[in-house]
Amino acid sequence: MTGNLYVQSVIDHIPEGLPLRDQVAMELRAHIAERTANGQPLEEIQRQLGDPRRLAESYLASVPLTPAPIFARLAAKIIDAGIIGLIAAGIAAVSYLAWRSKVLGGVFYWLLPIYIISAVLGFVGYTIFAEYHFGRTIGKKLLGIRVVRENGTRISLGQAFLRQLPFFGQFFFIDALFVPFTEKRQRAFELITKTRAVAVVLGLVLLT
Amino acid sequence: MLRENGRSDDRSGIERELKRGSLELIVLHLLEAGEAYGYEIVTKLTTQSNGALGVTDGTLYPVLYRLERSGFVAVRWDTPERGVPRKYYRLTVAGREELARLKSEWNAFATAMAKLLGQERPS
Repeated sequence: MTGNLYVQSVIDHIPEGLPLRDQVAMELRAHIAERTANGQPLEEIQRQLGDPRRLAESYLASVPLTPAPIFARLAAKIIDAGIIGLIAAGIAAVSYLAWRSKVLGGVFYWLLPIYIISAVLGFVGYTIFAEYHFGRTIGKKLLGIRVVRENGTRISLGQAFLRQLPFFGQFFFIDALFVPFTEKRQRAFELITKTRAVAVVLGLVLLT
Repeated sequence: MLRENGRSDDRSGIERELKRGSLELIVLHLLEAGEAYGYEIVTKLTTQSNGALGVTDGTLYPVLYRLERSGFVAVRWDTPERGVPRKYYRLTVAGREELARLKSEWNAFATAMAKLLGQERPS
C-alpha cells in the first residue's frame, strides 16, 4: 500500500463533511513524508501508524457525539418521503396524462400499484445509498443529522441496509419506539447494527 | 507455559494502560520545553526515556488531536517550498495549567503507590 492509499483508507472511515478528514489527511501525509525523508521504509511507517480503521476510530474518539433530536429525525424522514413522493407523483401524473390522451390505452390502472411499490422501494433504496455514501439523506442534511457507527466512523453498506429492514418489514413504528428510552436515542435496528444518528452543525459534530 | 504467557500478557496490559493513562501528561511535559512537530515528539519520547516510554505514531497523533481540541496545545503549519511540511504543536496557557494539574495528580498517585509498596507485608 502506498502512503497516499494508506491515508485514503484512514479518512475513508471518517464521515464525509467532517473537517477532521482534511486535518487527518494533511497530518498523516506530513508524517509519512517526514519519516520517509529520514530513510524509513513505508512498511515500517504504516506499522507504526497501525490499522487504518483503528487509527480513524482513535481520532474520532475525541469527537463527542450528540444524539439527533427526535423531532428533527422525524422531520427529516418526512422531507425525504416528500421528495420521493413528489417524484413518484410526477411520474404518475405524466402517465395519467398519457392515458387520457390514449397513448397508454388501459395500462394506467395496473401501473398505479407499480408506482406505489416503486416509490416505497425507491425511498428505502435512496436512504440506503445516501446514508452509506454521504452519511445522510437530503432531509437529514437539511436538519443537521448524520448517521455514523457508535464509534463515530462511517457506516458500512451492510449496516445501511440493515438499518432499513423495519421499512421492508413494515414494523418501523415498533422499531422507532425504542428511541425515547435508549441512552443514545437509538432505534431497535440502530442498536442491532451499532449505528446512531447524531446532530451536526455546519460540518462540526455538536459538542456535548 | 500457558500460565506464564498469561502473566506476561497481564504485565504488558498494565504497562499499556499506564502509558495510555499518562500519555497526555508526557506529551504536555515534552512540549513545555518549546514547540515541536509530531515526529520530533515521538523521537524525544523514545530517546529521553531510553525506549521505555516509546509509543507508536498511531497512538500519539490522536492524543495530539485530543489536546488540540481541548485547547491545551495550539498548532501551526510550516510548509517550506522545499522539504517536508510540518505541523508544530505548542503549549497554550490552558495547556500549562493542565500540565500542572496532571503533574500534581501523578505525584500524589506515585507517592501513594510508593508508600503502599514500601510497607512491609502483613504476616
